[in-house]
Amino acid sequence: MKKLLLGLALAAAANAYAADTLHLYNWNNYLSDATAKRFEAYCKCKLVQDYYGDNEEMLAKLAAGAKGYDIVVPTGFAVQTLIGQGKAQPLDKAQLPNFKNMNPAYLNSFFDKGNQYSVPYAFTTTLLGYNETKLKELGILDKSNSWALIFDPAILAKIKGKVTVLDSQRELMSAALMYLGKPANSTNPADWKAAKDVILKAKPFWAAFNNQSYIKELTVGNIYVAFGYSNDMYQAQQDAKKAGRKFAINFNLQKEGNTLSIDNLVVLKDAPRKDLAYKFVNFMMDGQNAADMTNQMGSGNPNSAAVKYVKPDIAKIPAIFPAKADVARLQQLQDLKAKDRRELNRVWSEVKLK
Amino acid sequence: MLRNRLGKWLLSWPPLVYLTLFFLIPTTIMFVAAFRNPGDYGGLAPMYNIEDGKLVWDLTLDNFSRLVEEPLYFELFLKSIGYAGLTTLLCVLLAYPLAWLIATTHKKWRDLLLLMVILPFWSNFLIRIYAWMIILGPQSAFTKAVNWVVTGLGFEPIQLLFTPIAVMIGMVYVHLPFMVLPLYANLEKHDMALLDAAQDLGASAWQRFWKITWPLSLPGVFAGSALVFIPALGMFAIPDILGGTDSILIGNLIKQQILDTRDWPFGSVLSIVLTGGVLLIAGLGALVARKGAKRG
Repeated sequence: MKKLLLGLALAAAANAYAADTLHLYNWNNYLSDATAKRFEAYCKCKLVQDYYGDNEEMLAKLAAGAKGYDIVVPTGFAVQTLIGQGKAQPLDKAQLPNFKNMNPAYLNSFFDKGNQYSVPYAFTTTLLGYNETKLKELGILDKSNSWALIFDPAILAKIKGKVTVLDSQRELMSAALMYLGKPANSTNPADWKAAKDVILKAKPFWAAFNNQSYIKELTVGNIYVAFGYSNDMYQAQQDAKKAGRKFAINFNLQKEGNTLSIDNLVVLKDAPRKDLAYKFVNFMMDGQNAADMTNQMGSGNPNSAAVKYVKPDIAKIPAIFPAKADVARLQQLQDLKAKDRRELNRVWSEVKLK
Repeated sequence: MLRNRLGKWLLSWPPLVYLTLFFLIPTTIMFVAAFRNPGDYGGLAPMYNIEDGKLVWDLTLDNFSRLVEEPLYFELFLKSIGYAGLTTLLCVLLAYPLAWLIATTHKKWRDLLLLMVILPFWSNFLIRIYAWMIILGPQSAFTKAVNWVVTGLGFEPIQLLFTPIAVMIGMVYVHLPFMVLPLYANLEKHDMALLDAAQDLGASAWQRFWKITWPLSLPGVFAGSALVFIPALGMFAIPDILGGTDSILIGNLIKQQILDTRDWPFGSVLSIVLTGGVLLIAGLGALVARKGAKRG
């Protein structure tokens, strides 16, 4: 009996393996279970996900020769890298009827003009999250719509040691550049120097450079202002609400502009199952399916057909669904040339050491 | 005799090959990378190009000159050595009495005490550091107790998390067992009759320690110091998690080069200098230890 069961189990496993399988190399927590199940039922295939924590990790793994993935989910600049390396499959739009659902504001980005290789999947903005209650007490809540909140020493004096900023040379420098009215992608040495000076003046008032725990620190009330990603701020807001804190967390875009990160679906040139990959990409551009993730984790949604399925309280948050005027102020970070990356890192080392 | 030696060789070639291969290969790659240019999409630029049918090497010394020209990096090395040195010193001061206690306790309790030293290894290192975030956070009972004392003495309340103090606490906490264990292994072998003899001859407690126990324990102190100092020098996770705006160490800079900046050549140069520095320090340590051993 035992042997029979084992045999059956093995046969079932082998069967599952032989069945049609789509391999998705995705960010952690970037596809809801419900959506995944719906897709498996729809395509009568198995969806296997593998996860990465940042673009570099994904690029490095592919560069090292990892095979077998059908789809990856790179952020803007990494799409450029994949195209440059000849790893991205040009998309046949005839197989993607749902492409018509996409919001034109998030198409035709610098990294893939005409969306020949990629379709946008979700986006985040980089912005300020804050303890609304505390800022109101301190009389600086009206400053939360400006980068001055983390860069102007006069304002910072009231929240000394209660501010964390992203430990990211690109994001922080861009915020300082936008605060100064410069383009986020400027590589002009004079602009970088000015941005560095802004950061060095503000730094003594900051508690830490922090990518890892600002959600928690905001939620428990240890810090009042965090510079980070919109979906994290949404998380912090919800967590604080659920924990019944006496204060409220909020977040919004800054008037000088914010950076926008679009994550995209890219089919790999050496994908073993391009047919399933097309099915998946088209499936995810369906309004309902696209809305699931926004409802789950508060990510921005580049799909016009999704809006009506998004929970109303999320749909009305401007930092997640920016109005047309706000979209115009969003800037995507472009990848820097090796030489500029190196120069930026020199400036950054100075920022970190002084 | 010959057969005996042959047996030894047969048994030891797998670890030897393993260590040699996996030390030599990455080190060689790193060494070559140090002379190359970074690629535009990350990684490395090609080592050579074919121009008009001719082979043109694309190698450079820029990565090294950058290190020398910029005083920033030198300062960072000094700072990291300072942090690692202080960690080692604090570990010796804390571990010595503990190791002595364990070594002189009745056998019945000794294993239990040793187990308690090793216990933290059962949970992941990062989880323990995250735990310190909570302990040192402003809302914690520990921080409140510290500040109750501090304000009681008439000072301004202090912050613990995101300060160099937090980094130091984390570093000492993580590395302490690596000092306790070799020290214990050494102290346990001491012949207690020596101390009795010294006492009979009129040596004070301090003299007994300084003239007998301390010199005899030096090999243990050196072994422990090497085990603490070297990993502490390359540490990046603790300053990342517990440190504030000025807590970057050389390990963080190297990590930045490899991941954020995608400047593998410069990251390689920094690693080579770090490895060289460690070898130098270890060599000096061994020299001092040998001298100490001869004298003892």
